Amino acid sequence: MANYSTFQGHPLSRPLNCLALAGLCGVLLFAFAWQIHFNEPPCPLCLLQRAAFAMAGVGLLLNIRFGASPMHYGITIISALGGLFAAGRQVLLHIAPGDAGFGGPFLGLHFYTWAFIAFAALIVFCGVVLTFERFTQHYAPLPRAGFAAALVMWLFLLLTAANALSTTLECGFGPCPDDPTGYLWLSPGPGTK
Amino acid sequence: MVMMLPFLTAAIALWLALMGKRGACLWLWLLTLIIFAVWCHQHMTGTLPISL
Repeated sequence: MANYSTFQGHPLSRPLNCLALAGLCGVLLFAFAWQIHFNEPPCPLCLLQRAAFAMAGVGLLLNIRFGASPMHYGITIISALGGLFAAGRQVLLHIAPGDAGFGGPFLGLHFYTWAFIAFAALIVFCGVVLTFERFTQHYAPLPRAGFAAALVMWLFLLLTAANALSTTLECGFGPCPDDPTGYLWLSPGPGTK
Repeated sequence: MVMMLPFLTAAIALWLALMGKRGACLWLWLLTLIIFAVWCHQHMTGTLPISL
């Protein structure tokens, strides 16, 4: 029988973690919408940044589901640092004068630059919340999180699974080309060798 | 190198968390992180165009 504990975290902990997870949902949804609308399959580094967003979401989701824990925030921070590293690497790849960058820009910045900003913001978010967070003593599933929180958590899972499917369609069960132009499993082209 | 693998393991980790299995979720996240690090190594060892 599950030992349901009372939620001992800060009253703002769950809403803020929900909000941050909703933000990550927004990031993944927007990236998907852009990918489909402009037919711009993501490059390997872009996919790594999306994977880092998915990993960071695990920590936020654990905070919502089980209560606040230093380990959960650590998961989010380590994941965001990984994403920051991948995004920073891609920024540096296209930093030379005359380089048009990968993909189309949004509000003047490429997606990897936005991703760099988003990962930095996520680390700042964790830092700020950790200044007033109260940690749960027992890590048992908390009582129902409410409709909005459940919706955000399931949407994030759905988006992560959709990314797994999309990446499989784009690259199959192998590596992705550096500059993809199509989907290997949908319309094999020169960019998906 | 299976590019979709980190998404698959992350999705399973999220599923386990939603099902109330915290320990298994943590292990899956760790596996995802390791895959992520290996994939980063595969894609980030080229020369950057910023050398003088």
